[in-house]
Amino acid sequence: MTGTALPISGTAGPPRKRPQSLSAWNDRHFKWVLVAPAVSLVLALSIYPLLFSLWVAFVNYDFSVPGHAFVALDNFRRVVTDPVAIHSVGVTLGLTVANVAIELLLGLILALAMAKTFRGRGLVMTVLIVPLFISPVIVGQFWALLLQRPFGPTNFLLGKLLGHEVTISWLTEAPWNFIAIIAADVWQWTPFMFVLLLAGLTSIPPHIYEAAELDGVDAWQAFWWLTLPQLMPMILLAVTFRLLDAVKLFDVIFMLTGGGPGTSTYTVSYYLYQVGFQQFHISQATAGSWIFLIAITLLIMLLVQRLLRPEAPR
Amino acid sequence: MAQVKITGLKKNYGAYAAVKGIDLAIPDGEFTVLVGPSGCGKSTLLRTIAGLETITEGTIEIGGEIVNDVRPRDRDVAMVFQDYALYPHMSVKRNIGFGLKARKFPAAEIDKQVNQAAALLGIESLLDSLPKQLSGGQRPRVAIGRAIVRNPQLFLFDEPLSNLDAQLRDEMRGEIKRLHQEIATTMIYVTHDQIEAMTLADRIVLMREGLIEQQGSPLDLFERPATHFVAGFLGSPKINFLSGRLRRLPEGDAVALDGDSTTLPLAKSRRTDAIPNDCPVVLGVRPEHTTRASGERPAEGMLRLTVTIELLQPTGSRTYATFRLGGEPVVAELQAHDVSRIGESIPVDVDLRRASLFDAQTGQAI
Amino acid sequence: MNATARNATPSPGPRRKRRPRWTADLGRFLLIAGFVIFVIAPLYWVFITSIKPSEDYLAVPPVWFPKEPTLTHYNAALFAYRGLNGLINSLVISSAATVLSTLLGTLMAYSLARFNTGGQHLSFWMLSQRFLPPVAIIMPIFLLFRTYHLNDTYVGMIVVYTVFTLPLTVWMLSAYFQQMPASLEEAALVDGCSRWQAFLSIAVPLAAPAIAAAMVFAFIACWTEFFFALILTGRNAFTLPTIFRAFLGFQGAQYGEASALAVVSLLPSVALGMLAQKHLVRGLSLGAVRG
Repeated sequence: MTGTALPISGTAGPPRKRPQSLSAWNDRHFKWVLVAPAVSLVLALSIYPLLFSLWVAFVNYDFSVPGHAFVALDNFRRVVTDPVAIHSVGVTLGLTVANVAIELLLGLILALAMAKTFRGRGLVMTVLIVPLFISPVIVGQFWALLLQRPFGPTNFLLGKLLGHEVTISWLTEAPWNFIAIIAADVWQWTPFMFVLLLAGLTSIPPHIYEAAELDGVDAWQAFWWLTLPQLMPMILLAVTFRLLDAVKLFDVIFMLTGGGPGTSTYTVSYYLYQVGFQQFHISQATAGSWIFLIAITLLIMLLVQRLLRPEAPR
Repeated sequence: MAQVKITGLKKNYGAYAAVKGIDLAIPDGEFTVLVGPSGCGKSTLLRTIAGLETITEGTIEIGGEIVNDVRPRDRDVAMVFQDYALYPHMSVKRNIGFGLKARKFPAAEIDKQVNQAAALLGIESLLDSLPKQLSGGQRPRVAIGRAIVRNPQLFLFDEPLSNLDAQLRDEMRGEIKRLHQEIATTMIYVTHDQIEAMTLADRIVLMREGLIEQQGSPLDLFERPATHFVAGFLGSPKINFLSGRLRRLPEGDAVALDGDSTTLPLAKSRRTDAIPNDCPVVLGVRPEHTTRASGERPAEGMLRLTVTIELLQPTGSRTYATFRLGGEPVVAELQAHDVSRIGESIPVDVDLRRASLFDAQTGQAI
Repeated sequence: MNATARNATPSPGPRRKRRPRWTADLGRFLLIAGFVIFVIAPLYWVFITSIKPSEDYLAVPPVWFPKEPTLTHYNAALFAYRGLNGLINSLVISSAATVLSTLLGTLMAYSLARFNTGGQHLSFWMLSQRFLPPVAIIMPIFLLFRTYHLNDTYVGMIVVYTVFTLPLTVWMLSAYFQQMPASLEEAALVDGCSRWQAFLSIAVPLAAPAIAAAMVFAFIACWTEFFFALILTGRNAFTLPTIFRAFLGFQGAQYGEASALAVVSLLPSVALGMLAQKHLVRGLSLGAVRG
């Protein structure tokens, strides 16, 4: 064999004609063939209705009134000047922050406690995750049954504990109704935080703690300097996911307080539901929905896009 | 069996050019090794030949047919992947027979072919195992079995031994070489390991940054590297590079090291007309070309030096001894008992006729 | 191993203000036990209520375990409150939507994972669907369904739930396909498969466990969904959760019936959830975290 390339005499033939089979066409457009069904279905059920609703938001759409008069921004104005709407935004924000904060704290403590293996840990895990698989409506029902006067046992147990009779109207009396709502949400979603944070904890390499121990770091320092920073991506992910769900709070309100007393526990979702489907101010509800949608979309763009880059925790 | 001809091949990933223009002709039946550091484009080149990557520019011909737009399944090539890509949910038998089944061979024929391939590779007893039950040395055999059973016109290997330990790697290298001798089909083999390249190849294609740096027989590349890079890439321990300047002296050309403190005369036969006097050059001296001096006078073309040993790395049969020449460390591959301790001064003969000389600026051999 | 676990191991160093091991262990035990009780208490109360005779409802102190358990509330929940119809509707709608969503989702997930189809935008768009508030898009869907007579039908609910669960399926499976080596399908391509064959005979069988898990999570999502069902169903296609409207405010004090229905509706999803417990982390994080 010599050092130079062996010359190969003119081998370049014309490309052989291959039949344009369906299979070959499929292969070439494979990736688009795969996404087409799912994407068209989602488009049909989100883009078209959204465009339609954009029109609805600018007209007077009412089942009882024929014709759809263009009313410009009237519907939007009616929403943003509605004191109930403004109040519902406050309630939503307050409940969201309280719920997510409490769930994060409890979830973190629980995850730290559960990170070490012990006998029966598997069973405990299985019990702790049960709330995740229960419909929020039923969770609302649960807490209604627990708190409802005179049936629920909560007041009785509190009375025993405090040594005097307790007669709290949990579902109709501020601030107890808010506490009831938070209790139900915390019951259902603390396991969410717990499961994700536990997964984050167990993926921290144990060697760094051994190294830290040799460096004379105590447990508290190890938590602040090692555990928390390592866990941070997972905390951000879990909080983001929870935040985006928590702002949609509806089911528990529906079952526990019905927005009451009065409109004091209206969340944004509950408000829009009331306006649209109980009072049938369809255009006003649609306008409100658009405002809500834009706010959530901004929130998604802000929180999720940054989170779900390839370097997100894996 | 088929020859492969690649013309003006380019492959870009967005703005990044992985392959920047390759012309390569591989004759029928030859064992060609594509070698180079990671990121040199060798794997990309192989994958374009398999049809797993589209190409940006140029043509690929297999067996005289341009296959640019031919799907992998229709190219009649077989490939052994770096991780072997054994289908975890199929037995060894079904793994090996999968290609035949996909081509709708009758079951009896598949059985016969699979058994033949298994016999050739000595894995008959494993046919009913699942891939996860195989040992490190059995996996590449099954992967090779899956390739040969189809009797393709071209074999492609993508670093098939890089996940094995040293001993298995040596063993499998031998088997692949034997396989090629037996079936004599064109094979293209990608590796970053220069020893694999040297031992397996009929022809080495050494790549660097998406281009071919040099191609030729293994010994050709080893003994007559076209560039500084080739000389440095091949050979273990690595070749010694000595930077200096070319001196045209009355008694002949020489390389002056370390501001003329040391002058190494070049062989009379070496032509240096291409470069001017005082041109910065790099002299490449392989460790095995420095030996412990014996006899009164050095043989023709040898340079005798007395050196002080700074570092010793015994390997058993050989001892690598480091000394300084013109201020730069030089490794010599000596016999085990040529030198006994650090600090010892011994006479060595350096074979300057077999040294390589490179232009320091262009890296090209002179 | 974690910070808490480190409490237990002694370490050298000058500053050793460590509580003894048993205190830490006791603290951990109390914490976990407290939370277990917090989780179990409502479940227990609801179960007890569901088998408690109506006379025991208002007893003081509360009846913690009825002397004469009864199944009459289950009977009432299933028949008087049409719980059985709701169960069947939920089953049909959730199953069909799950199958459809898995089918379409697997295809799309594979395309996103292997070919990065549509770049970041397509996959992000799909994900954002998951976080859109139902209340913001329900009005146009309601009007659309009204036009096409899809309100209160199986077909309408199946379509809505398919779309509702698609982001979950796509993201979970896409993450799974991404971590499967592409070389397996490439080997199949070289071996003589078309893209479809490589997908169906190599990628899908290998992803089977993840696909099964995705199905479980999609089913649970449909089974527990309330809002869409509340708006889009009526007397015909109503699902289990919507029946709980009947117990609002407990005007008739139907505690037993409400509890019985709650038990009936939570059992299937909880049982399924436990089956897929191994994949829980993947499911909750939409595949962003490997379980």
